[in-house]
This record gives sequence, structure tokens and C-alpha cells, in this order.
Amino acid sequence: MIKINSTKEISFKDIALRYPDFPRFIILKLDLYRRGIVCTDNILERMRKNVPLPLVLRDGSSVLSVLGGVGVAGEYLLEPYKIDLLDGKVGIFDGEEFLDEADFSPDPQFYGKKTSRGTPMESIAQARPQRLDVWVYRFCHFWEGGNQCRFCAVNAMFKSGVESTGRVSLDPKDISETIKEALKEPGRFSQVTVTGGADPGEDQKFNSETQRYIEVLQVIGENFSGSRFPSQLLSCGLSKKQLKRIHSETGLLSYCPDIEVWDKERFAWICPGKEKFIGWDGYVRSMLDAVEIFGSGRVYTNIVAGCEMAEPHGFKTEDEALKSNLEGCEYLAKRGVSMMSLVWRPARASLFHRQKQPSLDYYVRLAKGLHDIRVAYGLEIHSDDYKHCGNHADSDLCRID
Amino acid sequence: MITLPQELKTLLEDNNAIKVLGTVDGDGAPHVVFKDSITLLEDGNIAYAEELDSSQANKNMVRGIWFDKLVSITVGKGKKSYQVKARPVKCAIVGPLFRDFLARAKEQRGADADVQSVWIITPIDCRDQSREVRLEEERKKDPYYNIHLDRLKAEK
Repeated sequence: MIKINSTKEISFKDIALRYPDFPRFIILKLDLYRRGIVCTDNILERMRKNVPLPLVLRDGSSVLSVLGGVGVAGEYLLEPYKIDLLDGKVGIFDGEEFLDEADFSPDPQFYGKKTSRGTPMESIAQARPQRLDVWVYRFCHFWEGGNQCRFCAVNAMFKSGVESTGRVSLDPKDISETIKEALKEPGRFSQVTVTGGADPGEDQKFNSETQRYIEVLQVIGENFSGSRFPSQLLSCGLSKKQLKRIHSETGLLSYCPDIEVWDKERFAWICPGKEKFIGWDGYVRSMLDAVEIFGSGRVYTNIVAGCEMAEPHGFKTEDEALKSNLEGCEYLAKRGVSMMSLVWRPARASLFHRQKQPSLDYYVRLAKGLHDIRVAYGLEIHSDDYKHCGNHADSDLCRID
Repeated sequence: MITLPQELKTLLEDNNAIKVLGTVDGDGAPHVVFKDSITLLEDGNIAYAEELDSSQANKNMVRGIWFDKLVSITVGKGKKSYQVKARPVKCAIVGPLFRDFLARAKEQRGADADVQSVWIITPIDCRDQSREVRLEEERKKDPYYNIHLDRLKAEK
């Protein structure tokens, strides 16, 4: 059992002093993800929601709220930041100290409307400030037999929705109508992201998952005039044949198979389902094949940064973890793949619940390291930048490149 | 935030005035561009629309908000000209202000016009840059500076 760290955390302000050439906004963003946020009753009353939409910082970057709320996120081991009202404006507070103003991303106009089948459109696609997320399959089969990624809480996140509708997959007609409605709002979205839980299928080769994504991307694509549209698929590591099908049969622009953990041994421990059905080599091969098909700079992968230090088999020091991740980033960058990082928060419904997170200093060094490597190899981040995603401090840095 | 003189407010709200944004890059190199969307907001801030996330001006604005760098806005029409020193305080990529600027861009440039962000800038200093005003200011400070002798010679 990991003990709760009772020593006072180094504040983001102290880290900002340590790294004067690193944007304060991004340090704060990293720490908002790391320590978490809680909204006061004032905020929840104003939002009239239990789960607020993404928080948007003054520099336009976003901090995504924890989907599913605290029930999924779990209790906070570090003191979370507080989001409260100050003189009628939304503010970020560290304890009682006001840090900065922020906004919540507004509801898009399609929220509250229904498809012709009577499905609420906000249950089909979820809005980030400039991105539309479509979770086409709301169950991860890796959880069967306990093979889920150890940091993951996805099935718990979707449990109530799946139980209330009795369905894990979305109807393509619902998706098509929702996208059509979303596009009526000028300037609201810059990208559609399609994703879902892992589904190896009966053949255990992900052909059913591939077929599902093709059908969904095709009905989404019917709403666009060109052969391609700004889009990203986050999926399992697919084969070259599957990727060629997706590329030729849909308008998909970019592909992101998440490797989650770069170190090969820790990948096998932390992501047993991915290891069992695809393997670390399979994931890397999928990325490199995708570069041949989608082009250099159109292929991404994410690491859940910090979980590679989980106990008992994780790296023992932040320096070791950093070295591994930066080596991975460079290996992939040389080959046209952009590795991005997410901040790990040990969710209640995950096997890593109550594990200790790395320091804010670690996340700053990692973000800077990943960004600098990608710049050195000439990789530009478009599908996963502050606007098209909002989840990656390292790609926020490319705004001034 | 300072309160701007009425003449400057009128210029900022004038669609026919020339409006220029000045920023600096990471090396300190200046970058100066026309931004006809520059306008005054009700709360006294100034705002303009960026059409490209990848423009040099936008990158410099991001650098400005991240590292507290100032920018300049110059507006002019006829013989009147003002310069405003200002601080970038917000980059809006959604919301009512963003929608308003996008609608205005489409009105002015057609349905295919697009906007990537709207920058809000807080004025912290301003000066009347009109030639006659500036000359008069300097003349009052020291009538024997900024002048060649031939202009002072005795008339015979």
C-alpha cells in the first residue's frame, strides 16, 4: 500500500521560478491535471451540470475534466485545485489563493437536440473547445480476464450509460445526424476524433474493430465535401492491411495507436491486454506502417506519463523514467511518429488506484524533452495540438515554434 | 488598464482607420502587420481576430501571454494617429466573443472567411502620435532641440 504523501508539495509557482523559460500556463496546466480539480457548489450550480465541460485557460489551452466525475476519478491523494467564482468570474484557486481566471468551454448548439431515432446528440458526440469526440464502442474487452491496462478506468466511466441504454456501440445513423448538426455551428470544431474500447473480436485480430471504425468514418465523411477531413482515429495497434483499408475507404487524416508505456517490460506489465493481443512490437510496427500510409507527421502515440513508475515493477527514479521516455520519443521521431504525453492520475476504478504520482518537476522536464526532440526531427503537431486535442502540455509548446 | 482618450476610442471603432499590430519574436525581431479587425470592447480592452494559428503574429502573441511581453497597436486615419502599448491577456477559441468576430469576418470577406482565435489585449499606455501633436509636445519641452539653425535665422 502506498502511503499518502503528507509533505507539502512544491507549488507550481516554485517550479515556475525553477524554469523561467517554460510557460507558467503550461506548468499550471500540468499541475491541474496532476493534482486534479474540484468545482465548488457555486460553480456546479452555475453550470447546472455534475461534470463540467473542459476548463479553458486564458491562453486558450484546455484542461479536460475527469469524465465520470469523482466517483471514477477516486479520492485525491494530493490537494486538488479548486474552481470557484470570484466577482462572477471563474477562478482557479490553490487552497484559498486565487491563481488565475479561466472559463468553461461552452456547450455546442447541438447539445440538447435529438437524432431521428430519439437519441440525445450529446450522448453521441462530446465537445472539447474545438474538437468533437465520438466514442463509437463503449466497452474495452481487455477487462475480460483482468487484462485491462492497469491505469485504466474506461469501463467504469461508461458503465452507467451502457446500463441505461443497453448498448455498447453507437448507431451509425445517430453519428451521421449528430455530426451534420454539429457542423451547422460555424467555427465550433476543428477536428473529429473517433475512438472506442479495444475489441479483438472472435478472430482476435481486431477485424471487427477495424470494420466498425471504417463504417463510422464513412458516415462521418459523408458530411464533408473533400476526400479527407481533419480527423484522428485512436485505436489499438492495427495491421498494415487494416490501416490500408481505413486509409483508402475513409477520409481519415491521422492515426494514433496509444502505446501508453514506452519501456517494453513495463508495457507488458502495465498493459497486459495490449501485450497479449498485439504486443509492444506490434504497436511500434503499426505506427511505422502507418507513416508509410498516412505520411510522416500524421501518426501519433500517447504515453500515460508517470505510470511507468508505479509500484512494484516501475522505474524507481524519475531520471530513469525520463530517459526511457525520451529515448522512445527519439526512436519514433526519427521515423516520423510523434510521441505525446498525458498526465497520469490514478483513478479509483483502475488497478493503480492510490499509487503515488511523480513530481510536477518530472512532467515539466518530460514535456520540454518530448517537444525538443520533435522539433529536432522537424515534426509539426497539428492533429494533437492545443486546439485539436488539449491534453498534451508537450504539444502546447509548439505554439511558438 | 488605462482609460483611452475619446479620439482614440473613435479611431479604434472606425472600420476605415488603419490598424497595425506590432509584436516581437523570441529573438527580439519586430513583426508588424495590418489587422483590420482590431476594435475596442465595451470593457475597455482591445481585441482582434487571428486567421492563422501558424502566423508569426499569433506565435508572438502566444509568447506575449506566456512570458508577459508587451505588444503595440497603432491606429491612424488622415492626420490622426495613436500608439497603444498593451498586454495580451486572453486567447479565445470558443465562446461569444469568438463567434462575434467570426460572424463579422464572414460578413466582410464572405462565407469562406475563417478565424482561429480572438486575442484580447489590455491597454497599459497610449500616446498621440499625430505629427502636429508630437512636434508641439517636443517644441514645448525644448524649443532649441530637434531644430536646424536655418530655421532660426533672422529674417532681413
